[in-house]
Amino acid sequence: MTFTSSIGAKFCGALLAAVMSTTALSGAFAADDTIKVGVLHSLSGTMAISETTLKDVMLMLIDEQNKKGGLLGKKLEAVVVDPASDWPLFAEKARQLISQDKVAAVFGCWTSSSRKSVLPVFEELNSILFYPVQYEGEESSRNIFYTGAAPNQQAIPAVDYLAETEGVKRWVLEGTDYVYPQTTNKILKAYLMSKGVAESDIMINYTPFGFSDWQTEVSKIKAFGSAGKKTAVVSTINGDANVPFYKELGNQGIKAKDIPVVAFSVGEEELAGLDTKPLVGHLAAWNYFQSVDAPINAEFIKEWKAFTKNPKRVTNDPMEAAYIGFNAWVKAVEAAGTTKTDAVLDSIIGVSVPNLSGGYSTVMPNHHITKPVLIGEIQADGQFDIVQQTAQVVGDEWSDYLPDSKNLISDWRKPMSCGNFNVATGKCGGKGM
Amino acid sequence: MITGFILRALEGKIVAMIVVLVGIAILVPALNLLTPPDSAFHIPTYAMALFGKYLCYALLALALDLVWGYCGILSLGHGAFFALGGYAMGMYLMRQIGPRGVYGNPVLPDFMVFLNYKELPWFWYGMDWFVVAMAMVLLVPGLLAFVFGWFAFRSRVNGVYLSIITQAMTYALMLAFFRNDMGFGGNNGLTDFKDILGFQVQADGTRAVLFALSAIMLALCLLVASAITRSKFGKVLVGVRDAESRVRFLGFRVENIKLFTFVVSAMFAGIAGALFVPQVGIINPGEFAPANSIEIVVWTAVGGRGTLIGPIIGAVLVNAGKSFFTGAFPEFWLFALGGLFIAVTLFLPKGIVDTIQHGFRVRKAMKAAAEAEKGRVGTDAVNPSAAQAAE
Amino acid sequence: MLIRIISLIFIILSFAAPAFAQSGTDPKPLIDALAKADFAEAETLIGQIAATGDPKVVPALDAFSEGDLYFRKSDSAVFIGKTGDAGLELIDPLTGASAGPTSKSAVTKIRVNNNLRRVIDAAKGGLTLMSPDRGVRLAAADAVLASPSPENLALVEAALAKETDSEVKARMQEARAVSVLSSDRSVDEKRDAIKTIKSLGGRNALGILNSVSSSIDPSLKSDLDSAIGSIEAEQQLWDMVQNVWYGLSLGSVLLLAAIGLAITFGVMGIINMAHGEMVMLGAYSTFMVQEVIRTHAPGLFDWSLAIALPVAFLVTGAVGFVIERCVIRFLYGRPLETLLATWGVSLILQQTIRSIFGPTNQEVGNPSWMSGSFPVGGMTITWNRMWILVFSLTIFFTLLVVMKKSAYGLNMRAVTQNRRMASSMGIRTPWVDALTFALGSGIAGIAGVALSQIDNVSPNLGQSYIIDSFMVVVFGGVGNLWGTLVGALSLGVLNKFLEPSVGAVLGKILVLVLIILFIQKRPRGLFALKGRAVEA
Repeated sequence: MTFTSSIGAKFCGALLAAVMSTTALSGAFAADDTIKVGVLHSLSGTMAISETTLKDVMLMLIDEQNKKGGLLGKKLEAVVVDPASDWPLFAEKARQLISQDKVAAVFGCWTSSSRKSVLPVFEELNSILFYPVQYEGEESSRNIFYTGAAPNQQAIPAVDYLAETEGVKRWVLEGTDYVYPQTTNKILKAYLMSKGVAESDIMINYTPFGFSDWQTEVSKIKAFGSAGKKTAVVSTINGDANVPFYKELGNQGIKAKDIPVVAFSVGEEELAGLDTKPLVGHLAAWNYFQSVDAPINAEFIKEWKAFTKNPKRVTNDPMEAAYIGFNAWVKAVEAAGTTKTDAVLDSIIGVSVPNLSGGYSTVMPNHHITKPVLIGEIQADGQFDIVQQTAQVVGDEWSDYLPDSKNLISDWRKPMSCGNFNVATGKCGGKGM
Repeated sequence: MITGFILRALEGKIVAMIVVLVGIAILVPALNLLTPPDSAFHIPTYAMALFGKYLCYALLALALDLVWGYCGILSLGHGAFFALGGYAMGMYLMRQIGPRGVYGNPVLPDFMVFLNYKELPWFWYGMDWFVVAMAMVLLVPGLLAFVFGWFAFRSRVNGVYLSIITQAMTYALMLAFFRNDMGFGGNNGLTDFKDILGFQVQADGTRAVLFALSAIMLALCLLVASAITRSKFGKVLVGVRDAESRVRFLGFRVENIKLFTFVVSAMFAGIAGALFVPQVGIINPGEFAPANSIEIVVWTAVGGRGTLIGPIIGAVLVNAGKSFFTGAFPEFWLFALGGLFIAVTLFLPKGIVDTIQHGFRVRKAMKAAAEAEKGRVGTDAVNPSAAQAAE
Repeated sequence: MLIRIISLIFIILSFAAPAFAQSGTDPKPLIDALAKADFAEAETLIGQIAATGDPKVVPALDAFSEGDLYFRKSDSAVFIGKTGDAGLELIDPLTGASAGPTSKSAVTKIRVNNNLRRVIDAAKGGLTLMSPDRGVRLAAADAVLASPSPENLALVEAALAKETDSEVKARMQEARAVSVLSSDRSVDEKRDAIKTIKSLGGRNALGILNSVSSSIDPSLKSDLDSAIGSIEAEQQLWDMVQNVWYGLSLGSVLLLAAIGLAITFGVMGIINMAHGEMVMLGAYSTFMVQEVIRTHAPGLFDWSLAIALPVAFLVTGAVGFVIERCVIRFLYGRPLETLLATWGVSLILQQTIRSIFGPTNQEVGNPSWMSGSFPVGGMTITWNRMWILVFSLTIFFTLLVVMKKSAYGLNMRAVTQNRRMASSMGIRTPWVDALTFALGSGIAGIAGVALSQIDNVSPNLGQSYIIDSFMVVVFGGVGNLWGTLVGALSLGVLNKFLEPSVGAVLGKILVLVLIILFIQKRPRGLFALKGRAVEA
């Protein structure tokens, strides 16, 4: 029984500490000498695996900003909550952060579902969310900044690279069955067909979340690749399912030399759980790799390792997106002289901050940012070797390759202030009424 | 006889609970709308939305209690009925967006536009009428429960087997709704709602009404459940729970009794889902997750099954705890939650409500101390459902 | 006739010409030029380096392919770099002489991509066809087989003339046939080549034949199509066999995941929601064992799984023992409460692991004997899947023997069938309960060792198996070990036969629906227990 009673003791202790910390928090609020920043990432549940890192990055960035003297003469204070990979809970926690904790801005979300869940809350309560993950596009909100990649900042350059450098003629679009892969694959299919690829040379295949038995899928890819044309796999497989997928590829002897796989959701963190020797040469497309050779990146990696007190911790693309988003917000607040939402929304457009690949990223009027696209090959040490780097690409929220969105643009500057302006009809609001 | 005693004791409590719920339904929206924000009595919209969500969960727990606490059917798939009701409501709300979607398509919801749907799938027809949608909120979960129960109870699937296939059902539905080809928006689900019956979903007034509706619906369902359990039928129901074979030998059609209860319970869950969706603003396949259904069981058990008001209290307490801990101790809240479940099963095996009632009973029955001496045997006679239901 | 022969010789010579003409040119400046070349220039350079015909360039090409080629920033001289204790050791690319250690910042790595690797492989194939080492020749023939080109044809034929080893010769014949098809040789020669490739069979042959089908001489079209047809027919047959194998392999994973649950849930009647976490603990034990081995005794790495097995069994068994003593023993006779309590336990275990190891995946390596695959006819079997199948069957039968033949097994069955009677007979029932739960947990831990080889090792590992495990046990019939075996394997095969036709997502949904329907037909699973235990 000692086991359970110690749990009970812990529980009581937790309750007591909770009461004390709430009073402490409200005390801090009353003093009003800090600027609060919300961190809305899942720390438990299925998405914790990816999102916990981003919470740590945010804490590090806030910590550093405070060391530099804070913002507008005040200290920044992080309010961390756990939406537990539960989408309605995301909306509840967002509401809590904005209306109860009165945060100036929120950094958070990973999956599109969680973003879609909190979007109405941010619009209703007029606050700001920085969303740091690559996504399918087809959205533009007045209150959200998308610092991850839109499809044209990741998928299309990757496909171009394979077609040009490796002479790929046949494509397997392999993805997890949810909205991001579905949309990306629709865009890619339209794009490839516009480049003259026959429909019979494109195979689209979907698997469930957390899929772990890849034997049939991999042998299907093998069969599709034996049609005598150079074949490549474009993978939009979601986090958890990647490890067994790559293990099966390696074991079935599919080398990058034969059928290269280019992935959009596999970064340094995912590779950390893998023996990458059989995977050397498979590709990933991101806007940042840890192996980027730039002084600012070396500095960032050093700080990250020191902050986490773990010399093995890796950095990845969503971390860079969080870094850019945070710095852009800081700069915009300094320019506006206040953290009030409307003022910051006005001042942030056009703000340029250094990104970690050695250049500058600018916040565009469509609330997406400019960044270069990097293509990297997996190395034996779990890092990527960058084989191509494009010039700055502007994130395109409404894809030019989907029939219903090709006429839409978004521009949140006054006087247009519209997320779905139709250039064909000249009206705001999609097709126009 | 003892059951009758408990029921008579509960009667007063149910009335009290209904009064409390109606009181909440009036008072909370009033305090939210009528008091100035800086008043000490003001209830912020945030808190009201949160509490509205708990009330929906409470209704869901009540639904589960009806089949589990009174009929001995441990359903690990009640989340599915809840989600289906939610989807029916979500479909109505999606259609109400009309041309205000990002693509401005007057008929198709946004996710259908960018996934290249040319026309509305057949099962979306008519969902733009509130009456049809509300009928679906009851009919879809009810029908699923009817078909599922019809086969399962006829084949005398019970105990763990039934629990596991209800889990299989919700798991299969989750996988199905995750598929984009199903026409329900894939894993993003249905979201970005604008209007309900012409009122803005986000407006404080609408929220207040939705909150009041949740409380009143819960009170109504509680009344219905209480009427069912207190009727003669209810006595047979408890009979089915405690000794199914005997009831069958007495000439009752056990499968019909179970089926009726199961369908009513599924409809309750559907109503809970329909009230839940406009208040939280999203419905997606995550609601079908088997873990969610297990959580419902936990709320019911914490509050005390077979008591009707227990599950309501359990659902509100556990969820309030979850809201608090995920904010206050994001890293450690699972320890607290896990510890709570273990503690409740070990120290409050009958749930909070029943344990309190038991305390009263013991005090009253001090004279019959000899019976109290028997301890375990005595409690088992009061509520032997635990052992029976699981097998 | 004579003219024809002469012209044939001429053609051969002209093809061979680029390969031999530059013999004797010094490859050194070509290799040094790699320092400043972009990918396209590097491709040309590799061709020129190979064309020197100097086998001394092979180590440099190898290093280039592996990404071990560097140039010194000071003078752009190219070296092979070996990572040693004192930073990077530079080696002359041609002579192999050491040029001393240097710091990583003084050199720059010469970048390589997939395309260059392919070019290097083909070039190396040509260069090493005459190597004295049999294995190298075999690999060279494979490389030529993978990259048909008229240049290689001349090299292969020259090598064939000198080859004595029959296996190597056969492989070279195939390599030659492949190159013949893409050359402008006579129709007859090509027809022979098609025959050779047809007898080679398999997906690669199909790929080669398909690739030339658009450009082939019309008179050969029918030969080609029939060859493609016959390989495809054969391949389809193998696909069936392969599906069965995949099904059994998936079934063995399900069996592994479910077998511990068959004891804790099936035999003891505890609705053990923490079962998945026991599997996870087993996987983390493997990770810990490998970490220790990596830092202290890297030589033992191939034995890491063998060492991890008892460790995982003991760790999870001990955790199971503690859980039984602290929580579950108060809940016998109240099985539903076990669902709640073990659910709580599972949350706590997950969060504990998350707090200690972090939420990210941990790397568990595959020992060499579990990596790669071997061909069986027209299909490939991966070693890890095969060992997992063998392993899960071994555990199953060991467990069966323990349950049916040992005294402990007898006690256990007695206790679960009639606790009071067993107790009256002098069996220490609490002790047996604790040991049984520990056994079930320990077996889940062993399963975790195996599953760590094919899946993520993260705190969520257990969650992904728990539902499937319950399905298997219930489908097979609670309380019957054979039911679990048959249930797991048949669900696996069913799933894998549905998957190719309806896709993975719909396949899984259909399996679940079939389980629901099956339970209607047989409410107590595949192998229902008979007798009074049913009513208990």
